[in-house]
Amino acid sequence: MGVVAETAATPTSPGTRMIGYVFRRILIALPVLAGVLLVVFILVRILPGEPCTAILGERATAESCERFNEANGLNESLPVQLGIYAQRVVTGDFGDSIRFSRPVSQILIERLPVTLELSASALALAILVGVPLGVLAARRHNTVIDVGAMTVANVGVSMPIFWLGLLLAYLFAIVLGNTPFALPVSGRMPPGVRPDNFWEVWGLELGDEGFVSAAAEFISNMEIVNALISAQWSEMWVAIKHLILPTIALATIPMAIIARMTRSSLLDVLQRDYVRTARAKGAGERRVVRHHALRNALLPVVTVIGLQLGGLLGGAVLTETVFGLAGIGTALYEAISTRDFPIIQGFTVIIAATYVVVNLVVDVSYGYLDPRVRLR
Amino acid sequence: MRRRMRWLALLAILALVAAACGGDGTTETTTGDTSAPSTSAAPDTTPPDTEPPTTDTTAAPPSGELASVGVESCDAEDYEGTIQSIEATDELTVVYTLCGPDPAFLAKLAFVPFAVQPAAHLEATGGAPLDNPIGTGPFMIEEGGWARGSEIVMARYEDYWGDAPAFDNLVFRWAAESTSRILELQSGNANYITNLAASDYETIEGDANLQLLNDPNPNVFYVGMANTFEPFDDPLVRQAVAMGIDRQRIVDNFYPEGSEVADYFTPCNIANGCEGEPWYEFDPEAAQALLAEAGFPDGFETTISYRDVFRVYLPEPGAVATELATQLEENLGITATVEEIESGAFIEATSVGAQDGIHLLGWGADYPHVTNFLDTHFTGPQFGDTIPELVDLLAQGASTIDEAEAAPIYAQANDLLREHVPMMPIAHGAAADAALATLEGAVVPPFGAPKFADMDPGSDTLVFYQNAEPISLFCHDETDGESLSACEQVLEGLYEYDETGTPVPLLAESCEPNEDGTVWTCTLREGVTFHDGSPLTASDVVTSFAVGIDAANPLHVGNTGGFEYYAYLWGGLMNAPPAEG
Amino acid sequence: MSVPADAMAGTGPGPDQLLKTSGSVWRIALRRFFRRKIGIAGLTLVSLMILVALLAPVIAPYSPLEDFIGEPDAVRWAPPCVNAFGCEGQQHLFGLDGNVRDLFSRVVHGARVSLPLGFTTVSIAIFTGAIIGAIAGYLGGWIDNILMRIMDVVLGFPSLILAIAIVFVLGPGIRNTLLAIAIVTIPQYARVMRASVLSIKEIDYVAASRALGAAPMRILVTRVVPNALTPLVVLGTLGIAGAILEAAALGFLGLGAQPPTPEWGRMLADETQRVFTAPHLMLFPGLAIMITVLGFNMLGDGLRDALDPALNE
Repeated sequence: MGVVAETAATPTSPGTRMIGYVFRRILIALPVLAGVLLVVFILVRILPGEPCTAILGERATAESCERFNEANGLNESLPVQLGIYAQRVVTGDFGDSIRFSRPVSQILIERLPVTLELSASALALAILVGVPLGVLAARRHNTVIDVGAMTVANVGVSMPIFWLGLLLAYLFAIVLGNTPFALPVSGRMPPGVRPDNFWEVWGLELGDEGFVSAAAEFISNMEIVNALISAQWSEMWVAIKHLILPTIALATIPMAIIARMTRSSLLDVLQRDYVRTARAKGAGERRVVRHHALRNALLPVVTVIGLQLGGLLGGAVLTETVFGLAGIGTALYEAISTRDFPIIQGFTVIIAATYVVVNLVVDVSYGYLDPRVRLR
Repeated sequence: MRRRMRWLALLAILALVAAACGGDGTTETTTGDTSAPSTSAAPDTTPPDTEPPTTDTTAAPPSGELASVGVESCDAEDYEGTIQSIEATDELTVVYTLCGPDPAFLAKLAFVPFAVQPAAHLEATGGAPLDNPIGTGPFMIEEGGWARGSEIVMARYEDYWGDAPAFDNLVFRWAAESTSRILELQSGNANYITNLAASDYETIEGDANLQLLNDPNPNVFYVGMANTFEPFDDPLVRQAVAMGIDRQRIVDNFYPEGSEVADYFTPCNIANGCEGEPWYEFDPEAAQALLAEAGFPDGFETTISYRDVFRVYLPEPGAVATELATQLEENLGITATVEEIESGAFIEATSVGAQDGIHLLGWGADYPHVTNFLDTHFTGPQFGDTIPELVDLLAQGASTIDEAEAAPIYAQANDLLREHVPMMPIAHGAAADAALATLEGAVVPPFGAPKFADMDPGSDTLVFYQNAEPISLFCHDETDGESLSACEQVLEGLYEYDETGTPVPLLAESCEPNEDGTVWTCTLREGVTFHDGSPLTASDVVTSFAVGIDAANPLHVGNTGGFEYYAYLWGGLMNAPPAEG
Repeated sequence: MSVPADAMAGTGPGPDQLLKTSGSVWRIALRRFFRRKIGIAGLTLVSLMILVALLAPVIAPYSPLEDFIGEPDAVRWAPPCVNAFGCEGQQHLFGLDGNVRDLFSRVVHGARVSLPLGFTTVSIAIFTGAIIGAIAGYLGGWIDNILMRIMDVVLGFPSLILAIAIVFVLGPGIRNTLLAIAIVTIPQYARVMRASVLSIKEIDYVAASRALGAAPMRILVTRVVPNALTPLVVLGTLGIAGAILEAAALGFLGLGAQPPTPEWGRMLADETQRVFTAPHLMLFPGLAIMITVLGFNMLGDGLRDALDPALNE
């Protein structure tokens, strides 16, 4: 939640203090990340059930468990395991998944784009619908429209995501199953449909190793982006269709929150002196809202949008489960249930780092945009 | 305030640096590759006579040389396996020498983890062809065929030695929920889906465009009662429970049609499975009397534990656990709390008899033989103390090749189970797959995955939906059904199971036992080629097997390195590094 | 998930407000609360659900555990049978579930599980969070730093994922669900409490009473706690909504309540496979969750509007 709530003294000119502020925030973030690392490490090791039985299966014998633990470094003492883990994380190496014998970073390249695409489209939808809804409600304050919009928003934050997802699936797959409005409810693409990778369309040669090819693979795993930049329009349409229902399910809560925030913030601003002045000077209501009030009212909305990113990641676990998407949410859940320590550790650190960075960006941008937030 | 902040930052950096350095000296030991079995590194004092048996294994012999793998003696103290050696005696002959007669030899051999890959490919992939297996099967995995997270596309192998498939591409996909799979089928996206939920049978049967396919895999759902805990240490209590549960009611309400009440632990379509007396009739009065005799006229308190995992033998664990609690309360006055336990922890506890109360578990056959049911459950500590007579009987049965000769042995064994009630068999669950009505030749075999090569979707692609994504495609080292079913389309072994579950020759022309059933000589089919074009040889067969069963083989790498089915079906690995403490 | 982020905005008590904690403020707040429809609507829904929970045995026609196996027309997953709508068999308003139990009775009794769960979770979280926040804010210095960095670590995870991990560690079940959700929500309350303490620490009369030698504990209890109460109550009300939702999510993932407990999330999880064939099994427990959560959300909104003078209308 908002670190903006922290208050302190020393008001100085924001420009010069900003760099120092950012720097300090990063330094504070480091021990937090280290703490996250430690907590994950401890949590996964006190999970009941051995990785051996979880991964080798029900038929595992005691001897094979012994060999398995040896091979995966699980026989080392905990401090040694922690040391290895910390050292690797610092060098950006998350190790290999125990269950798949593949680098965690590779799995991340396959899984993260799915979640990213889903979260980004959900956030976009939430903003595109939420902000206008909030503005509408504020301008028609205390009318049927206001009450209606806010009721919708309140219902929106009160629905279990997975329930909404299942109801959407029921509606669009069964009720509307034989109409043009039917939508796919699982997976990312239809069977056998494999859009060409954008670099192939562009006629580029990529090596097997290295940052560039990893980045290219990452981008091409975002089906919509890949289809867009390589002009594969029919594939892009198919990819979008597969993403519609999960996006709606995931977007509902942030949409409702953004709408409520926009409304209350705009109402607040509309009562400020300078807005009254603008009105007094004869500006039309539309102009007052657009040119004077909205920009200021959106400041707290921006904060809330930033904070929603974190919630989206949590919601992604449920959305991906319901709609059969192979993103980091489902991967993390599976990894927890199969005790695949390296995946749990690697993914959580990435998520936590994202969190910290987003919080940082939100704090900094908020402080920058609104001088009233005093920096210490 | 600001000074403090600086200190904190410095500390954080120091901590990270320290952590980084602390790891330095130790990385070597854990990241060391898994293929090197460190027999020499173990400093413990090993008496000379228990030294690990030496082998004459080579990873992959140079062409022309014939491969072999084995141990010097079956009697070595640390070797518990049942195979003495496997040798290629000429280009197309493989000889398996066993430590003793094994009536289930062919039945085990037909299992897909024992499939054959080219020795050269195993070598080239360092013993871990995890996503690029090369087999002799009707379908092959091409470069990039497995798009992780979404699907596996398999292409028809044009030079297949048998009848070529009628279609070009086989697509494997997965969806965890039965409802999603059905939707894909109804929308025409899928041709074939597995594991229907019981509530979906009607949907399929009511739709003229779909067909319901019954899955005859033998399995059993049982209620275990370990005799290590009170009051289940009293046989009377276990017998009371055995009589006091209306199993018909459970099967009628919580199992799909086609399921049966289990009168024996082993299903009757397994030879010698149903010898001896059938299980007790439901008789609550008699049960209450027994309970009173045991000193619990008003019942007692206990727990019913289960894991929330879908299996054909127990499709709805939560609902059945609840129903069982209701019946115990109503029929016997026993108050049971339902408790779900995480799957791994549950298996760990139940497999050594460390789970108090009543536990719900089951078994799906790995291979069609009665030993796969009885020996796996009643010779170990799963239900607490074993029944010595039963252990002796089972050992006797396991070395009796002739089925008729073994029948009375298993009759006695079943009667002992009925008398001692280490568990109560409840149901043999029916399962079903579904397919589009247009899919020709769709059948579910009792063992292994559907043979899609024999089906015809009427188009150039067949799309199959299963529960989950395969973990890897190197099935030497996988145990989950989803991995195995993908492997079966690509890889072949010497034998396979026919539609009745009988092992029949596949890559072998035949395998013949010697008189006492301890030496099997297999002659390979001629003219079979792998997907890479190389011909199948006896050395490939031996090397493939050696990679799995010989822990000292440099290619004994795999995915997790567990090679569970080699260790478990053949009694143990060769040259397994001595387990520490 | 969890508590909507805007719940925080504007709940920080300003020093002006903190100075007047007389009864009149509460009276004004009460009047403001009842002037706004949203709070009243929320209060109505919440009262309704509390009533349902209290009167569950009266409202529900059957026990939530009683099954109808063997009775005529009682089949698993049977659709609703309402006599008033012309259904002639035994009446089951919401139909029957997978164990052939009356779904209406189960949903009604579910209120007895979810409401206490929400209350308890939030009470634990507020209590612990407030203590941590108060200590951090009052003592300041390195203790403050360490405590708040620990809170940051907890906030470094998506709350649902951390809750999942904790439940995996503790084992599934209502009590552990409750603990897990409480743990992941503690930092919110700790932060609010700390901010309260910090702002009041600077106020003259507190400084004065400190100078006069008043015991820290006394200052905390008499001055700080009453002022922190406002934001905590608002946040807590919204927190109940969040806790119920999160418990349902854990139940959906199979980690929450154990059968045969009639918990709404678990009911949904058990019948996910039937969403297309028997949608009523999904609809009713889901609606129950939604109405309850909606009630607490609106009540929280109403309380915030009433208690926060910054939002003067």
